[in-house]
Amino acid sequence: MAVKKRFPYRAALVACNGGCRATAECEYGCVACGICVGACRFDAIEINALGVAEVNEEKCIACGACVRECPRGLIHIHDCANPIVVKCSNRDLGKNARKYCEVSCIGCGMCAKACPAGAIAVQDNLAAIDESVCLSCGQCAVKCPRGAIRDLRGILTGRK
Amino acid sequence: MSEFYVNGVPVTVETNRKLLRYLRDELQLTSVKDGCSEGACGACTVLIDGEPCRACTPDTDKLEGKHILTVEGLTDEEKTLYTYAYGEAGAVQCGFCIPGMVLCTKALLDKNPDPTEQQIKYALRNNYCRCTGYVKIIAAVKLAAKLKRAGEIPAPSHTDWKLGSSVHRLDVAEKVQGYGKYPDDWYVPGMTYGSAVRAKYPRARVLKIDASRALALDGVLAVLTADDIPGENRIGHIKHDQYTLVPVGGLTHYLGDAIALVVAKDQLTLEKAKKLVDVEYEVLPAVHNPTEAAADDAPHVFDEEGTNMQAVRRVSRGDADGAIAKAKYVISRHFETPWTEHAFLEPECAVSYLDKDGDVMLLTTDQSAHTTLHECTLLLGTKKIKVENQLVGGGFGGKEDMSVQHHAALITYVTGLPVKVKLSRAESLLVHPKRHPFWMDFTMGCDEEGHILGVKAKVVSDTGAFASLGGPVLERACTHAAGPYAYENFSIEGTAYYTNNPPAGAFRGFGVTQTCFAIESLLNEMADKVGISPWEIRWRNAIRPGQVLPNGQIVGPETGLAETLEAVKADYDAAVAAGKPVGIACAMKNAGVGVGLPDYGRCKLIVENDGKLHIYAGASCIGQGVGTVLVQMVVTNTGLSRDDIIYERSNTWIAPDSGDTSGSRQTLVTGEACRRACEKLSEALRQKPLAQLAGQEFYGEYLARTDPLGSKKENPVSHVAYGYATQMCVLDKKTGKLEKIVAAHDVGKAVNPISCEGQIEGGVVMSMGYALREQYPIDENCKPIDKFGKLGLFRAHEIPEIKAIVVDKPGLDVACGAIGIGEITSIPTAPAIADAYFRLDGERRTKLPLVNTPYERRR
Repeated sequence: MAVKKRFPYRAALVACNGGCRATAECEYGCVACGICVGACRFDAIEINALGVAEVNEEKCIACGACVRECPRGLIHIHDCANPIVVKCSNRDLGKNARKYCEVSCIGCGMCAKACPAGAIAVQDNLAAIDESVCLSCGQCAVKCPRGAIRDLRGILTGRK
Repeated sequence: MSEFYVNGVPVTVETNRKLLRYLRDELQLTSVKDGCSEGACGACTVLIDGEPCRACTPDTDKLEGKHILTVEGLTDEEKTLYTYAYGEAGAVQCGFCIPGMVLCTKALLDKNPDPTEQQIKYALRNNYCRCTGYVKIIAAVKLAAKLKRAGEIPAPSHTDWKLGSSVHRLDVAEKVQGYGKYPDDWYVPGMTYGSAVRAKYPRARVLKIDASRALALDGVLAVLTADDIPGENRIGHIKHDQYTLVPVGGLTHYLGDAIALVVAKDQLTLEKAKKLVDVEYEVLPAVHNPTEAAADDAPHVFDEEGTNMQAVRRVSRGDADGAIAKAKYVISRHFETPWTEHAFLEPECAVSYLDKDGDVMLLTTDQSAHTTLHECTLLLGTKKIKVENQLVGGGFGGKEDMSVQHHAALITYVTGLPVKVKLSRAESLLVHPKRHPFWMDFTMGCDEEGHILGVKAKVVSDTGAFASLGGPVLERACTHAAGPYAYENFSIEGTAYYTNNPPAGAFRGFGVTQTCFAIESLLNEMADKVGISPWEIRWRNAIRPGQVLPNGQIVGPETGLAETLEAVKADYDAAVAAGKPVGIACAMKNAGVGVGLPDYGRCKLIVENDGKLHIYAGASCIGQGVGTVLVQMVVTNTGLSRDDIIYERSNTWIAPDSGDTSGSRQTLVTGEACRRACEKLSEALRQKPLAQLAGQEFYGEYLARTDPLGSKKENPVSHVAYGYATQMCVLDKKTGKLEKIVAAHDVGKAVNPISCEGQIEGGVVMSMGYALREQYPIDENCKPIDKFGKLGLFRAHEIPEIKAIVVDKPGLDVACGAIGIGEITSIPTAPAIADAYFRLDGERRTKLPLVNTPYERRR
């Protein structure tokens, strides 16, 4: 379905890197159940090679259907102009978050310290970026010891 | 190790480091500006695989196979296109953000040849600009897109360099293409790096300095302390109260005080060595604010002073108390305004070396090369110093004091080594003087028609760790507190206190930004009391030619406040009729130092052997464009063509001292000096053509003569001229955000109208920040806690429509009628915005930044 998108573009983001490589032990991880894929009327979501849902921002119109349907609440709408995103939803204590996944956020706060704009806060052991303040510099992404923060363009970090 | 491509050329980087350091230090691609090295400013933006990225973020090791593009690597067609578009749109001021902006432009247009305005704003939104308010940069991108689609670049729309013509500024190409040099872009042979070890406590006595561990480190060349200073340790703009290096036994005044200077062969060693200088202190209680400073038992910021009171100013005329007692309407209010950081894009940097005459040659970014010379002469006790301004990446008052120049000069003088001394962004935020916070109590009395009868006020400012320009700022705050209105009874008392906070000094508006917020807010409230519109109350009180200001000065025929009110009337009425919340404010601002101080403009026109006329004036271009102004002056007054003229950057050995770039003075004061030199040159040109005048020199000097404060004259001339302005702000009722700002400015004669507009838009956006968001919080250790990216500066996608109206009003008999516009552009913005918010929700806001707006920052 061709839909005219309104600028500034927004799109759904699945906040999971799939670093656990598709084991289901992380209760905050995407399990590739495919519900979001089915819920999307724009063919904008697929399960990628790592076994996690991934959104095609070109196709997504940020209708929010997947956000509502995801049984684990891993999807939120974000501003496409901000390519630097936290791709993890794990709210466990760091030592537990570390257990099941190579690329989980452990709430260490290095990103918040590196952020020049005060755009990042760690809440419930999870980093969150305030996109209205973020300057997309990527300092958080290159400092993150876990690779939990990604540059969706694939420049400052790998895409996934 | 990694291999990637820079501007199409494959490179191999052995040692991992930040891309910014590799591009600048190794490849000397100096278009990639180092504005903060922490990811905030955007000045180091490059394209990596076509995407804009800050070069200070990635490590070289992570760039394997990637393609990096800097403006040096643009094609010739692209360079021509962006140079034209940025010049035609008037988008270039200080130029420090421009290479980054140009690359954002390219990245956008490569993907989207016909972007909407909002798409352009989003493409620029991660890059800060502090000069332009983004308006003209957005226009440049729009124009570049259009020309790129058309595939053709037309001739500039203005080619006549006479006054009143919006020609492309003369520094567009060097700034767009990034080959113009700021001090940090110099890499002189054998260059070392110097930096200061700063005070650990804001108020402490230095007991011992031990540099032995630092000196033992390989690569450390010297550590200098106060004992190494040959001349006066204490320097300062007016009062010599600022230690160059705090001596053993001396008191620190704030965290920015330098204790020792470390010189090392590279930047990494330098940072390591600074941590190895051991300083012992006796920690003493600090003074945090004027209330503490004024207390009877307060510790003294200065050993030598019996009080923390830095300056007291009183301005009084008529009988304010009597007039207020008789007034039908009286309002009293308390107002507060915050510290503000200049946030120029280029951090302070100086490069120094011994030249072939054995003199210390200083390459600087400051607001007067001659002031730097003067201070360094005191410090070194020698006249064997030369200073040359490089490009200056913004100043706004924050580069008037010594920050790095004196340290660089001292290192070269003592060690003989060439050195670069550069402040990190964190140091810059700490070290240079800020805008004064003010606490103000104002009372205004009006008659039933809304005519102001009298105003009485008391203001207090925190001038921080040393005097800097605290006295003059306080003075200007007081002399302008009455507003641009015709009434007789006015009295004000102002006091500035030393504290152990960072120093406060000059900042665009120079004290007037603060008191204008108070008087204009009162006037808006008064209009409601009287039952007339805020526009009408200003119209009734506005100063007009021949009338007397509350300071006693009879204003000249060039006075154009009423015209600026008329200029916004249609927009004002339309917004009111549409039921939109609209606020308004007026302002006046002196051009020239005034109040009886010697204020000289000087200019030398020299015909050199190349047969061209070279303009030498010791007047710094800090981005405002004084070079273009002077060339337009010369073309207008001599009939020479633009191609016959070369503008030379300010230096101290040929260019005569033309005072600081301060007080909106260069266009008027140096402009008039230049015009006078042109008279002599024109005389000579009547006898011989230019080429035959080689070797001749034509000198112009102008003293802007004024009367001192407290002059016995009935109508003293406080300033040779004033600029006047009316600004109005319209809010979007639904979102509560700014919809539009209209800013009408009387400039006498607009030398370059598009540059005037650029000043207006930049000033307005700067003060939108002042009104709505910008803060500079200081903690209990007197330490500023925010980084550059947290200051609250406005970004490209956040700005409303800004309509700049340039009002020409002839009458001033010097400088072809031109009045400086640098500062006034940011003065009436905050009270206009505050009034608009009152019209939106009925809340009178008397404190900046304003509370309960959608722009308020949660901390």
